[in-house]
Amino acid sequence: MDAKTINPQEKTLKVVGTRPVRPDGVPKVTGLARYGADFALPGMLWGDILRSPHAHARIRSIDTAKARALPGVKAVITAADFPEQKYEFIGPERVAVNFWHMTRNIMAREKVLYEGHAVAAVAAINKAVASAALRLIEVDYEPLPHVIDVDAAMRPDAPLLFEDMITRGVEPAPDRPSNVSKRIEFKLGDPEAGFAAADEIVEMSFKTAPVHQGYIEPHGCLARFDAEGQGEIWASSQGHFVVRAYVARLLGMNIGDVLVHPAEIGGGFGGKTVIYVEPVAALLSRKTGHPVKIVMSREDVFKSTGPTSGSSMTVKIGVKRDGRIVAADGVFKFQAGAFPGSPVMNATMCGFAPYDIPNVRSVGYDVVSNRPKSAAYRAPGSPISAYAVESTMDAVAAKIGMDPLKFRLMNACKSGTQTAWGPKHAHDGCAETIKAVLDHPAYAAPLGKNQGRGVASGFWFNNGGESSATVHVTEDGSVAVATGSMDIGGSRASMAMMAAETLGVAYDQVRAIVADTASIGYTHVTGGSRVTFATGIAVVEACNKVIAELCTRAAMIWNVDRGEVVWEGGCARHTGQNAGKIEPLTLKAIAAKRAVTGGPIGAEASVNAGGAAPGFATELCDVEVDPETGSVKILRFIVAQDVGRAIHPSYVEGQLHGGVVQGIGWALNEEYIYDAAGHLLNAGFLDYRIPVASDLPMIEAVLVEVPNPNHPFGVKGAGEVNIVPSMAAVANAVNNAIGRRLTELPMSPPKVLAALDSGSKG
Amino acid sequence: MAKHHVTATLNGNAVEYLCETQQTLLDVLRDELQLTGTKEGCGTGDCGACSVTVDGRLVCSCLVLGVEAQGKKIETIEGMAAGESLHPLQRKFLEHAALQCGVCTPGVLIASRALLARNPDPTEEEVRFWLAGNLCRCTGYNKIIEAVLDAAREMRGS
Amino acid sequence: MAQASARVVLISSLSRHYTDGTKEFEIEAKTLYDVIRALDQRYPGLGEHLEEETSVAIDGEIYEVAYFHALRPGCEIFFIPKIEGG
Repeated sequence: MDAKTINPQEKTLKVVGTRPVRPDGVPKVTGLARYGADFALPGMLWGDILRSPHAHARIRSIDTAKARALPGVKAVITAADFPEQKYEFIGPERVAVNFWHMTRNIMAREKVLYEGHAVAAVAAINKAVASAALRLIEVDYEPLPHVIDVDAAMRPDAPLLFEDMITRGVEPAPDRPSNVSKRIEFKLGDPEAGFAAADEIVEMSFKTAPVHQGYIEPHGCLARFDAEGQGEIWASSQGHFVVRAYVARLLGMNIGDVLVHPAEIGGGFGGKTVIYVEPVAALLSRKTGHPVKIVMSREDVFKSTGPTSGSSMTVKIGVKRDGRIVAADGVFKFQAGAFPGSPVMNATMCGFAPYDIPNVRSVGYDVVSNRPKSAAYRAPGSPISAYAVESTMDAVAAKIGMDPLKFRLMNACKSGTQTAWGPKHAHDGCAETIKAVLDHPAYAAPLGKNQGRGVASGFWFNNGGESSATVHVTEDGSVAVATGSMDIGGSRASMAMMAAETLGVAYDQVRAIVADTASIGYTHVTGGSRVTFATGIAVVEACNKVIAELCTRAAMIWNVDRGEVVWEGGCARHTGQNAGKIEPLTLKAIAAKRAVTGGPIGAEASVNAGGAAPGFATELCDVEVDPETGSVKILRFIVAQDVGRAIHPSYVEGQLHGGVVQGIGWALNEEYIYDAAGHLLNAGFLDYRIPVASDLPMIEAVLVEVPNPNHPFGVKGAGEVNIVPSMAAVANAVNNAIGRRLTELPMSPPKVLAALDSGSKG
Repeated sequence: MAKHHVTATLNGNAVEYLCETQQTLLDVLRDELQLTGTKEGCGTGDCGACSVTVDGRLVCSCLVLGVEAQGKKIETIEGMAAGESLHPLQRKFLEHAALQCGVCTPGVLIASRALLARNPDPTEEEVRFWLAGNLCRCTGYNKIIEAVLDAAREMRGS
Repeated sequence: MAQASARVVLISSLSRHYTDGTKEFEIEAKTLYDVIRALDQRYPGLGEHLEEETSVAIDGEIYEVAYFHALRPGCEIFFIPKIEGG
């Protein structure tokens, strides 16, 4: 990518950095925007999915005869209707996709591996008949012992989910199967020697419960597939190209025969980068010859879609008395859920990444257990390991009597710092965010009775990858921008802003949409904090191509040498001997002459963007603990994050607010609660308690800008790292308030009370 | 079983529909009347995405049966703007970037309008407690609260 | 014209699988394409794996693996697991 980063000292930015109204805003505030569940087609059938009542069971047989015979039922399917998939891990090791696993998660084959696991599906003339049909499907289960907790799943006597699972990453390979899918280790220097040289060592263990991404919109889609072999899907997802690829693979179709329309999406946070209902609806549609709509209930969302991992972790940090960290060790055990693929590798890489530590060992275990397969959740894995590392950092700072921010600052990584997993950091930002909180007046503000303050820092990679964009100049000189990136948080505004800035035109002259999979080149998921970065690069590149073409047309119109034309201030200008005498040509003027100069004016750019800078965030949390109830009230929360450059500051702030609040919920209330039989007890928003408006104060977002030279506007991904330090910030604040350190999340009132009563010291 | 025939007023217009006994008002709005602006987030009255007003009273339409709307005045998000003019709350939500994914927004707007109808000058705390029944997972509520307070200010003429 | 050499490092799981544990290599290369070809010649099959399943950190800066990346002499290349977010 050779677009040079614009230096604001050299050229004032006119659009980037302002706060215009998003182009898709009016439909969203008037109820006209259409999400996955909002589509309908004539003759549409309703699909519904039968789910396992058991946490772990062998499927002996499935009898669908009675269901098929029910009037109004048009098709009933089971896993037998999906082609089998080869067992092999494909794609990135950290999130390796194995279609053998995926097809079984979509619909169970030999076994059901969690309560809520899909077993069969029906398509019927209405919801009521579909629901009644499910009740007529007879499944003969042989219940098996189950295991959910990660430590329990690792015990040698634990029930096995896969009788042939041999742990990968261990030499020599174990001779017995287990639930440990993989072991990962990163090592730097000599941790043993490092700890031997330390003046003080703190070692602590932690546990976290699984939490769900909690998007308000359940998964839903409409599929229209025909017997001839093509189909379309309207789905809310974080990546319609990924939906297309997975559906094609699972149904044994060519990718080009599937068209996915990007419905608006009602929240994803990583949980909608995978598929659940889409291939089922597609297959039902193909079988019935009618469109089929499936929308998950909230209960199904909690029971059958991936929450993130619960974990069991031990962190050890050794320091010199002056505060320098000399050694760190972390062991992170993560629930993968029913199939391998927890984000434990991310966790092992991110946990110590904010710091310059010469000796590090970071070990991760990916462990299967009888709960839904884990799905990505905002900086997957990193918030979990950060909770353990940042709590331990806090304890270390206290032990040596050092200010916790100054302790972090002293050890902060910067460009050139060696990471535990190999390369050196190539970007700054960590120290800047720590300083932003250190220098904030709130850091010195006094605290009252039962109040406490906690700080934490965190790291996340941020992604680049494949993105496509088209830019067209319409007949009147307005600009149409299309990308393949689902808009989950206002990115259409940022795309329009970057295009307007590049072209030198007003924001209102540019409109941005999200195109379907047939209308634009491959674009990877909206996730990993990649859209403003990677898709932004594609947009700018497409704009630059359009600018080159506009100059070519202007040269034709003026009948001058192409080399004498430049684009400046939204116009083509002549630089030759007649410069100043020839009126500049606006987009509108050139567009008016498009036909005689060669035809419509537009360009596409597809990129595989690299050079994404990682995210750093440092957070401060003030709490007040009620000693009678154990309830924790958030008094103040400040998040300082290096965003590179904020294209639209309001939407960037929104990401910081949103991520922090998810972290607060994770810290204080959210958890999956299972009964002894492995049934989820709190599969609804009443008892799976996410933060509500009255729980919170205003969150203060501090946008630190250390521009990324690899993006034309200096953008660093902003969506994810904000959640990484949040749980630790809250935990450290609670510890500061009550003088006891809780080492289990969530810190719900009963646990806080128990800590107060027991006198467990931090 | 035969369906029920219901007549009511919807966003100021007379409306009639057929519905089954067990269908909620939410089901009716979305599936029978094709008004998909009101969203189902949970179906159990916990998230507020399905908020509408019935005879001026803020309710979760997933907790109201279709038949219960007989003879009543229902107002949904589709009726909030007046022709070309957005309601001040709608405008302020856009100005303040009070929505990210937007799925909770219809419910929050309906709930906010109901608040300001009863209390045109709420404090931040009063807004937060009134909106406690409307879950938002994207925004952390900051900009929603700011937008509601700003809209209230404009509607008071101050 | 002499090509400059790059220090190329594979993470443990890659080296365990494909290179009998050897993790570090000095490879003469002008572009990433040269590096991948050189490794694939020594360890058949490794090239495809690197292309499909890894990202690459060149002097710390993380990129998707692409043939055309030009390499400065003496640069440090790490093949790391591909990154996915949420």
